Amino acid sequence: MSWPILSVTLFLPLAGAVAILAIPSSRARAIRLALMAVTALTLGLTCVVLVAYLAVPPSAASKLSGTANGQSLSAIHSPITFQFQEQVNWLQSGTSLSHLHLAFNEGNSAFNQAAPPPINFSYHLGVDGLAVWLMALAALLFLVAAVVLSQRETRLRTFAVLMLLSEVGVLGVLTSLDLILFYFFWEAALIPLYFLMIGWGDGNRGRAALKFIIYTVAGSLFMLLAIFGVYFITGAQTGVYTFDLPTLIAAQSLVHTTQATTFSLFGHSFSLLNPQEWLFLAFALAFAIKVPLVPFHSWLPDAYSSGTTPFLVFFAGIVSKLGAFGLIRYNLTLFPEASHTFQPLMLGLAIASILYGALAALAQTDIKRIVGFASISHLGFVVLGIFALNVDGLNGAIIQMVNHGIVIAALFICVGVVESRFATRTLSQLGGLARPMPVLAGLFLVVTLAGLGMPLLNSFVGEFLILLGAFQASPVWAVLASLGVILACWYMLRLYQGLTQGELRLPGTEAVPEQLQAVSRRLGRLDVGPVEVVALVPLVALMLVLGVYPAPVIRYGRFSAAQYVQAANRQTATDPALASGRTAAGSLP
Amino acid sequence: MTAATAPGYPLHFVPAGDLLGILPILIVGGGAVAVLMWDLVRPRHQEVWLAGLTGLFLLAALGTAIGQWVANSGPIVVFNGAYANDRFALFADFVVLITALAVVVLSPGYLRRRGLAEGEYYILLLASVAGMLVLDGALNLIVIFLGIELLSIPLYVLAGFARDDQRSQEGAMKYLLLGGFASGFLLYGMALLYGETGHTSLTAIHAFLLQGATSGHIDPMVLAGVGLLAVGLAFKVSAAPFHWWTPDVYQGSPAVVTTFMSVATKVAAFAVFLRLFSATLAPYRAEWTVPIAVVAIVSMIYGNVVAVAQTSIKRLLAYSGIAQAGYIMIGVALGRPDGTQASLYYLAAYAFMNTGAFAVVTILSRRGEDCDRYSELAGLGRREPVLAGLMALFMLSLAGFPLTVGFFGKFFLFSAAIHDGQLALAIWGVLTSAVSLFYYLRVILKMYAPAADVGSLEEFEVASVSPAGTAVAAPTAVGPAVLVVALAGAGTIVLGIFPALIYTLLQGISVVHG
Repeated sequence: MSWPILSVTLFLPLAGAVAILAIPSSRARAIRLALMAVTALTLGLTCVVLVAYLAVPPSAASKLSGTANGQSLSAIHSPITFQFQEQVNWLQSGTSLSHLHLAFNEGNSAFNQAAPPPINFSYHLGVDGLAVWLMALAALLFLVAAVVLSQRETRLRTFAVLMLLSEVGVLGVLTSLDLILFYFFWEAALIPLYFLMIGWGDGNRGRAALKFIIYTVAGSLFMLLAIFGVYFITGAQTGVYTFDLPTLIAAQSLVHTTQATTFSLFGHSFSLLNPQEWLFLAFALAFAIKVPLVPFHSWLPDAYSSGTTPFLVFFAGIVSKLGAFGLIRYNLTLFPEASHTFQPLMLGLAIASILYGALAALAQTDIKRIVGFASISHLGFVVLGIFALNVDGLNGAIIQMVNHGIVIAALFICVGVVESRFATRTLSQLGGLARPMPVLAGLFLVVTLAGLGMPLLNSFVGEFLILLGAFQASPVWAVLASLGVILACWYMLRLYQGLTQGELRLPGTEAVPEQLQAVSRRLGRLDVGPVEVVALVPLVALMLVLGVYPAPVIRYGRFSAAQYVQAANRQTATDPALASGRTAAGSLP
Repeated sequence: MTAATAPGYPLHFVPAGDLLGILPILIVGGGAVAVLMWDLVRPRHQEVWLAGLTGLFLLAALGTAIGQWVANSGPIVVFNGAYANDRFALFADFVVLITALAVVVLSPGYLRRRGLAEGEYYILLLASVAGMLVLDGALNLIVIFLGIELLSIPLYVLAGFARDDQRSQEGAMKYLLLGGFASGFLLYGMALLYGETGHTSLTAIHAFLLQGATSGHIDPMVLAGVGLLAVGLAFKVSAAPFHWWTPDVYQGSPAVVTTFMSVATKVAAFAVFLRLFSATLAPYRAEWTVPIAVVAIVSMIYGNVVAVAQTSIKRLLAYSGIAQAGYIMIGVALGRPDGTQASLYYLAAYAFMNTGAFAVVTILSRRGEDCDRYSELAGLGRREPVLAGLMALFMLSLAGFPLTVGFFGKFFLFSAAIHDGQLALAIWGVLTSAVSLFYYLRVILKMYAPAADVGSLEEFEVASVSPAGTAVAAPTAVGPAVLVVALAGAGTIVLGIFPALIYTLLQGISVVHG
């Protein structure tokens, strides 16, 4: 590339944040317009990246590039092709570290032998067929969030700045090709999110924010240790000490960790998992918390129920996708064998998420918590598709990540409208809103149907492919997962019917029918305003377009899915059958 | 050496090269004398010049140290191998001197607000800094002891500097008694080491131990001496379980003294710790690495867990300091170059973030009493947006978030631990870091959450009135103090994005042993 389009995309929101800081905080209208302009421009750039990526024939781009010290690996082919790569050195200790003579009379001590390995990491960006879709989704959702952000929001300027900083973090996670850079963005994105969570929302938000941060960071810190583990194990075995992802992916085919880790406890020694499996678990923990998968999900209902609508649009829409993204990008490529070893575990957690999320959604009375648990269930499908470890499943997972982002954002906008009009989130206090709010009810219906996987709407495509993939892995998984689809109809329709159908019911008016009459006469003005329509219509349109004509998304997603499946199916570099890239759908060893 | 060629030199019995080698110490020590004299003759009500003069001497010492860093590529050993002026010592000097400078800038406004006397304060501060510089390069047990006492005795006085504050008096007494006790341990350990090896020079001790260790002989008396030494030093760095004085002394001492004590003392004591263990005692590494690792883990757990329960900001920072000592101790326990490097990096990072955090406390302190209660932070985000933002930054840095220098501090420590296969250290470090989020983020929540969330309006009202009952006036003379906080904040961010700035300095570092 002649100019660094990824860096420009990445730092445009940052520049926008600085620019917005220059606007006086009293000029709410200008701040909101600037926010929309910046997010729209970012969306434009991500679309340029998307189109340019899809326009380049994949075979032309498949070369391993930009590895400073990858000489010994240059012959090996990385199965994932990254484009628009940019690389700048960030910290290079190189060989000069051997100058460190932390000792005394010229090497007379055993102490001198341990020359530490160099620590190198770089600012390395690049995208593949997975990241381009998610980048576009992220930019779209941030724009939608900017649209639904009310001009009357308290401390509007701070909100706008924090939102743009979150966007930098999210885009950074998606584009970074260096483990340290990735971790850097992964954690740094939490800072603006934390401030957004403690600053805006209902009274429970402080607790919810703390819970979210502690959960996430606890998981991420183990991932940091695992990153060092990957670094030192790969370095020790291949001689290449690097945090560079393409190099590491290529190097994994040289790494063989068959030796199990031995523990000794009270004099008994026993073996448990090999190092690669430990590293897989550490990465998977961080990502499972972010997704979240079921035993690690308890931060989510609190966070989703206490947040404000614009925050939830991008928080639920894209931040939770980063976990699934990480599972694909890092777990499948860096730990191919462990991915197969732990396939039953991950599939089991996915099924647990699908079923538990669905059942919990049925039991909730708070409309935002219903959407939150529905989200857990839907994301279980994504993980199911990923760990089907075949092209159909992964293809479905990639599509479903995009679909779910669109659907969940629209759901939160609909539910947010209801909450803001009636100041309650209790399902039983509301009812019959279709009469006073026909436009909302109409849009909400499409969103609901998309959420429960109705054919001709977007989620159906993803869920279909995921179930197809899961069936190839094992029919049992597919059967269990389809129970989730049935439950989805139940909880989504319970939400929709409860809110829009039946007798008109509003909080505080149960006992006084006359009062209800009086209120209902004024309700005409309560329907969705132009702002919400502008935000919802593109999302609904996307649901229809992707549902009716999914072929292009499937075709392009399939290429990337095939690459990742190939990466996950590598066993050793010496196996020529696997190096040739022949990975038809769903053949498991 | 030089003495022979320069007859008639006034100090002909001390070679000039030796004096050059300890020039920063001489400047700081001379500064103490000069400030003492100036305090006698200065015009009344001109206290601020005392701070200016003190700062000038510290700057001169810092400039000299930088010059020495640039000039010497190789190690310089002076006074017959009693003091090393190597880059390891110079790096520690930088951190100590910069911290001391920050404290001196913070002091005048703070001392005036709290109505404390000024003259002696700066003299004691300079004397203590001189002790720290002595420790940074000490290559002899006697010199180490000299440095420890020169560092500690002024600090005992400084801790009790608020003479009409009972807590300050209590803290000072506690510090003095327990500090004397720790010195006893240290001295006993030195005596054992000397008795067994016959040397006080670290070089000679190293050679002696190396000889023994290569023939497979581990001397139990030496081990006992090393253990006692470690106890004495662990007391100075306030590592658990030798930390008992820390919370009371940090809380009782005037905030500027706490700032100085929490950062500079730790740096100097860790300099000795690192030199002694990773260089002198390297032959016995197999013996001491596990006990030191245990101290590190206990500190991390104890400091972080107990900090969660604190309601006083200074106590919170004290327990956080105990936890941070545990992290730095990881590098000591590894006893290898990358561990030492990581510890030094963390110390530099710690200087920025902890000085910054305490400086905010200093600025918020008012007449009669320090800003100490959690409730005093409520609503700070609205009242003082800049200070609150910087405080939040320091909290995030102490918690180890990326974009701050604290992240790379932990980064290098954990990576060194993993590389050396010390998984237990890394895992405990990670687990306790997660716990630490709880109290660091609670400080931020307190500052930014609306008053209704964190306490009643009444509490807020009480907090904004000082105990004396006088309404709070805008703190005076905080301009330079805010500058210190802003610089610490800038350092925290810049080093958090470009870790190479310090890391490359550390790459060429050498620790002289003899």
